[in-house]
Amino acid sequence: MLPTKEVIAQRPPMVSALGEITAVAFQRYAIAVGDLNPIYFDDAAARAAGYPGIVAPPNFLSSVLGWEAGPAENALQEDGTEPKNLVPEIQGLRLMGGGHDLTFGPPVRPGDVITAHRKLVDLYQRESKMGPLTFSISEIVYTNQRGEHVVTCRETVIAAK
Amino acid sequence: MGIVTVRPELFFEDVNVGTELPALAKVPTTVQLFRYSAVTWNAHRIHYEREYALSEGHPDVLVQAHLHGAFLLQMIMSWMGPRARIVSFGWSNRGRAVPGDTLTCTGRVTAKHIEGGRRLVDLELAETNQRGEVCAPGKATVTLPSREVSR
Repeated sequence: MLPTKEVIAQRPPMVSALGEITAVAFQRYAIAVGDLNPIYFDDAAARAAGYPGIVAPPNFLSSVLGWEAGPAENALQEDGTEPKNLVPEIQGLRLMGGGHDLTFGPPVRPGDVITAHRKLVDLYQRESKMGPLTFSISEIVYTNQRGEHVVTCRETVIAAK
Repeated sequence: MGIVTVRPELFFEDVNVGTELPALAKVPTTVQLFRYSAVTWNAHRIHYEREYALSEGHPDVLVQAHLHGAFLLQMIMSWMGPRARIVSFGWSNRGRAVPGDTLTCTGRVTAKHIEGGRRLVDLELAETNQRGEVCAPGKATVTLPSREVSR
């Protein structure tokens, strides 16, 4: 039995300090995607586009799964995933990302200090060709050192038995 | 990072409902998947260990869900002019993709509206594989500068 929306609403949000954002971290991200947009790499190009200097790709924060040194390998689940971001109801199942809905505030810049506030908002099951699927919907609000909401992410994770 | 080219500005008046974004074709490789997992601190074995991916019923190592989204966003950000800003963006993962697939991102303007002085353009997006199957539908809203205001 999955918990009801009312029960879910009582779970406290998980607040994580992601630390200071560096240019090389988001530039490696952009390069891994294959996106060489100059606003991520070149201060002059970013200023010409109306930014104070280079900015992170808008989806950078919401794409990175972990910001800490750990976990150690023996703390991962068998499939290599980190249990921390998963509600207990889907830990140990076969997991697939289901998508994001992102809303953007001010751009993320090198030196920004980011905090993430993660909250489960819904958990439901649907039948499929693969058997019953559990959908875990979370909302993650990323704030900067000024308290501005730089990204709000509604995340869907799909879990199969 | 080499020579920087500044893209031409794209104005609100230049786009209409039905305007299509230039398509972006991506062919992910195992090297790309490895580096994407590395920079996102994602140790999920389905993205780099073929035997493990097969054991979960997948045809090969899988393109990360977030990378499908990143390809769609790259298309939008390449199309927008320098002074445009992305307001919102979302995608859903509907189909799997593996290294060697050709993933073509397409987009189309579905609405134009002005709210609170912002000139907004809504987009409908799709990432489609070489068999014509949609791997990731999506949508976005961007705000574009106006020719009138900039003169």
